[in-house]
Amino acid sequence: MKVHLRVFVETENLGKAMNAMTEAGITGFYILEYKGMSPQDWKGFVIKEEPESAIGLIRDYATDAVLICSVVEEEKAEEIEKLISETLKKDKFTILEVPIRKIIVNYGNEEEVEEEVDVWLLEKEVPCFYCGENAVQRIRVDVNKAKIWCTNCGAARYYLIKGVERPER
Amino acid sequence: MEIKPWKLNKAARCAHCKDATIHSIIIDRYKMKIKCRDCGFTRFYNFHVVNIPKRR
Repeated sequence: MKVHLRVFVETENLGKAMNAMTEAGITGFYILEYKGMSPQDWKGFVIKEEPESAIGLIRDYATDAVLICSVVEEEKAEEIEKLISETLKKDKFTILEVPIRKIIVNYGNEEEVEEEVDVWLLEKEVPCFYCGENAVQRIRVDVNKAKIWCTNCGAARYYLIKGVERPER
Repeated sequence: MEIKPWKLNKAARCAHCKDATIHSIIIDRYKMKIKCRDCGFTRFYNFHVVNIPKRR
């Protein structure tokens, strides 16, 4: 089963935590910067209810921290847990592991992108439409346009897509 | 001077049937046609402009 691994560390320990996670073999991650207070620090605080007061308190007392998130296999999460515990044994950190029931990934316009980069390059020795000489003609065909140029006279002819004809099913 | 249309073939992945197929390409002075021999998907191009290099 895959788990959503959330590692909370203080900003100065981000490098150490990231190295430990990379060593364990994570393939992707995302990071969120935040300001937070641990339960020990928060205990006994009573804040005034004005928004300025609450924001001021967070600004003055909360710690700059980072949340590193990644989706990993359960076994790998255990490995990461051990490595982080070892690397950050003298520092503050929190690890959460949340089980994942389902993952849906949509790559959006992947096909369109593939089509855009599909460029053909061809060569043929034929009479040029401009100079009439039998010379190598270079042809570049893109999805929406094409260019042919003569290696003898250098004339470049440009063509634009007019339409497509799809076969009947 | 009359120049016959050029005829070429190109093995490539068809944008329609997604298979690696042979495409027939016919280019003449004002038109270009590319057809997948497998599924028949065809693209038509029209001549747009010509760029002539300056003589030195």
